[in-house]
Amino acid sequence: MDENGIKLDIGEVLRYLGVKEDPEGAIARAVQDEAEGLLRAVRPRYVYRLFPVERGQSGVVLQGSGVTLPGSMAGRMLARCGQAALLACTLGAGFEARLRAVQARDMARAVILDACGSALVEAGCDQAEREIASRYPGHYLTDRFSPGYGDLPLEVQNAISTALDAPRRLGVQVTPSLLMNPSKSVTAVIGLADAPQPARIRGCAYCSLAGSCTIREGGKSCAD
Amino acid sequence: MLTDAWKNDIVLLDGAMGTVLQQKGLPPGGKPELLALTDPALLLSVHREYVAAGSQIIYANTFGASAPKLARTGHTVEEVVPAAVAVAKKAAGQDAAVALDIGPLGELLEPMGTLSFEKAYEYFRRIAAAGAAAGADLAVIETMTDLYEAKAALLAVKENTSLPVFVTMSFEESGRTFTGCTVASMARTLEGLGADAIGLNCSLGPDLLAPLLKELCENTRLPVIAKPNAGLPDPATGLYDMDPEAFAAALAPCLDAGVTIFGGCCGTSPEYIKALRKTLAGKRPAARKYDAVGFVCTPTTPCRLDGVRVVGERINPTGKKRFQQALLEHDLDYILDVAVQQEDAGADILDVNVGFPGVDEAALLPEVVKKLQSAVSLPLQLDSSDPAALEAGLRVYNGKAAVNSVNGDPAALKRILPLVKKYGAAVVGLTLDKGGVPRTAEERVAIARRILDAALSYGIPRQDIWIDCLTLTVSAQQEQAAETLRAVRTVREELGLQVVLGVSNISFGLPNRRLVNQTFLIQALGAGLTLPILDPGQREMMDAVAAFRVLSGEDKESRAYIARFADAPAQTAATAAAVGSLTLEDAVIRGLKTDAARLAKAALEAGQAPLALVEERLIPALDRIGEDYERGTAFLPQLLSAAGAAQAVFEVIKTAIAQTGGESVKRGRLVLATVQGDIHDIGKNIVKTVLENYGYETIDLGRDVPPQVIADTVRREHIRLVGLSALMTTTLPAMERTIRLLRALPEPPAVVVGGAVVTPEYARQMGADYYSKDARQSVEVARKVFGA
Repeated sequence: MDENGIKLDIGEVLRYLGVKEDPEGAIARAVQDEAEGLLRAVRPRYVYRLFPVERGQSGVVLQGSGVTLPGSMAGRMLARCGQAALLACTLGAGFEARLRAVQARDMARAVILDACGSALVEAGCDQAEREIASRYPGHYLTDRFSPGYGDLPLEVQNAISTALDAPRRLGVQVTPSLLMNPSKSVTAVIGLADAPQPARIRGCAYCSLAGSCTIREGGKSCAD
Repeated sequence: MLTDAWKNDIVLLDGAMGTVLQQKGLPPGGKPELLALTDPALLLSVHREYVAAGSQIIYANTFGASAPKLARTGHTVEEVVPAAVAVAKKAAGQDAAVALDIGPLGELLEPMGTLSFEKAYEYFRRIAAAGAAAGADLAVIETMTDLYEAKAALLAVKENTSLPVFVTMSFEESGRTFTGCTVASMARTLEGLGADAIGLNCSLGPDLLAPLLKELCENTRLPVIAKPNAGLPDPATGLYDMDPEAFAAALAPCLDAGVTIFGGCCGTSPEYIKALRKTLAGKRPAARKYDAVGFVCTPTTPCRLDGVRVVGERINPTGKKRFQQALLEHDLDYILDVAVQQEDAGADILDVNVGFPGVDEAALLPEVVKKLQSAVSLPLQLDSSDPAALEAGLRVYNGKAAVNSVNGDPAALKRILPLVKKYGAAVVGLTLDKGGVPRTAEERVAIARRILDAALSYGIPRQDIWIDCLTLTVSAQQEQAAETLRAVRTVREELGLQVVLGVSNISFGLPNRRLVNQTFLIQALGAGLTLPILDPGQREMMDAVAAFRVLSGEDKESRAYIARFADAPAQTAATAAAVGSLTLEDAVIRGLKTDAARLAKAALEAGQAPLALVEERLIPALDRIGEDYERGTAFLPQLLSAAGAAQAVFEVIKTAIAQTGGESVKRGRLVLATVQGDIHDIGKNIVKTVLENYGYETIDLGRDVPPQVIADTVRREHIRLVGLSALMTTTLPAMERTIRLLRALPEPPAVVVGGAVVTPEYARQMGADYYSKDARQSVEVARKVFGA
């Protein structure tokens, strides 16, 4: 479906739910219903800001942001980038309230809504990415990557949140245990380069859930 | 120095602090909240520039001076606040007043976060007390996006200082805050709680805030504040897009809308205040138009009383055995379920009565209010005769509530009305007094007038006073039905007040009660009843309300009425098709709640024992879908649909047992918790749903649960199994700490762990007895531990 440029991939939601077969299409229909209701009520919101990239001793420094990205992945991803965008996207407290309300009524609907929310916040990030691409033409964007992927530590979450003023501008808080609240929130880094960017980082090697992932058990990966 | 100018005249506030500090070289991510200690001269220079620019009230640099935000700085509220206020006072001299600036705590309150209302209040109390002692002239609570947090701060200032207090919140262009609060809910809740001025700050520029400020002005009688950003920031530079002149020009229409207190937020500087001063020079406040409509609300759901509003009556133990049992067993999930059903059936307001012998109402009512507000969006009417319970409930209520009730007895008025005034609630006045229920309409109207006068004398606005003309049972006192209707008409027409009636009382002792109820409802609506208290689950009552709204013109173009009846025939057909050869087992497996409940009821009526029904029919059905789930031919939504149907069966069984007083079905009791630091709890809730529908009783401790709370509960309740959930690698250590503590108990329980990042290896290393990869496996674990 496509409303105001936001697309929600039903197949992706079914994957989050671990649904491997749905012969009568009943689950897909339930997902479709839930997704439609969600899209009517909740929109992803995001903020982003561009910073010049500089290579420092302890990692990639985003000048003027207070953010340093340690580890080899960030170095590799941003190797050819003069600038990088910091991005935060959230479904906000409205989604959380909806999820609480649905949980009080029907847990089956709630797990579907939860999975739709995961897909929707990713769709919001995609939309932000498209906006960045069109706002700054002539640049090639790297893949989006987030704290907790590969060797980019979760701790970076705090600095990114501060640099974007995320509590004030989005209502997103990072808890002392580095969770984001509201839960359907993402922070990410996107490099802007002058040449096409080949590196692809989506894959199990970068994922902190690889050890317990049920999609992998089925011999697949969420990047397939 | 503070004059009363803000009450009636145009007043200038200051602009941003952070923006100016950054211009002066403070690095991003620096600690601006400590500047009063680390660089008071810099702070003083900024304040002085604002005073020179014309600010009549400057905000002390205390926005981030709360205990949670100062936690890692090594400084306390009691150090930072007086230092910051002192710097501002020095800059202000005799030319400006100094406001204690109170910002959000940086932690989300329940139910979004895990910070309790009471703890938030305590944090704000410390700031307020320190600010007042340091000589601030007023307090401003600003940049709030959660009305609940604003309420905690406002109560803290009002109860611990005598300072005037302003409250401003941040809205999005949609007209809501990040937490979904509407402008009307904000305005009417905060005015009710006694704020001295209210307004909007931050988030947007003056052009985009203007329509919201206009709406705000229509929803309050208080002075209104505008402190917007300098437009929107550029993502490449971080700079805001309005210059001082454009900013001032865009604020001018807000003056026409009724705003009188002006300042700037992010991106503004003394230049902006100068430009504002120039634009506003010689201007007078505009005339205001206040909409004096009756109103109650939650943050997300304003309820304007400009038509018929249905008050749901079901949260009440009177005559309901199952509800009484839930109260005695502290089963808040059941009470929530009753609320949810009424919301879904179309109620506008929910009456909440939890008074019952053996229940500590003053402790339970606030707990129930919090529970209901976590999942139901409707405004609540707190129904109690115990002032302590009412106060406790009103205190933690998020929004503007109603109180049910007071009556014409002077002692009752004196007990209840001060609470209504303090918390800005509406109040139901019963037209009776020590002499009982008067027999004539005239006498009831006379009591209504007494209640009205008393409430007005406490400063309760007229639109917040609702009158209950009292429904008596027609089979016992037949002539009284007409008297009630006459009283309704007079109170509505002569006093112009909202009128309440508990409709269902009319028909006690008669056959076909629903017909009598519906007929009386229609008569009463015609006479002027605006707030019928009834069971919204009774379809014919809601149908009558829907039809009345068409006839009264409230339902424009009959839209709601048409929508209500559009799907009705199709539904009947579907239900008819489902009846027939369906077995209870099929109904459960296919997740058909209504059918499962119907078939369970039939089985019980046919003489099947509750325990046998559970063990021989329900559990084998759940096992079948569980096995399909394990094989990968059924999936989580289907497993949970079956659990939902099983829940409906259990509800039938519990209701039957509550009525007959038989032995309840209990297969073992366990504790579930999401570990400390972890706030994502849907996984734990899934496990809870499935286990409960296998007949296990769960004590759900919620999320972010400290290890000691879990250990104490296990010890007190003699628990044999504990389920712990963790979602993040960062919270696994808390899981391990919890297990260690449980292991050290005299009678250590078995521990099962699960959650996204937990693996069987981690589980072993942490010393858990079992690892469960999903809800289905947790059932197997429970079977092993409880042997059933």
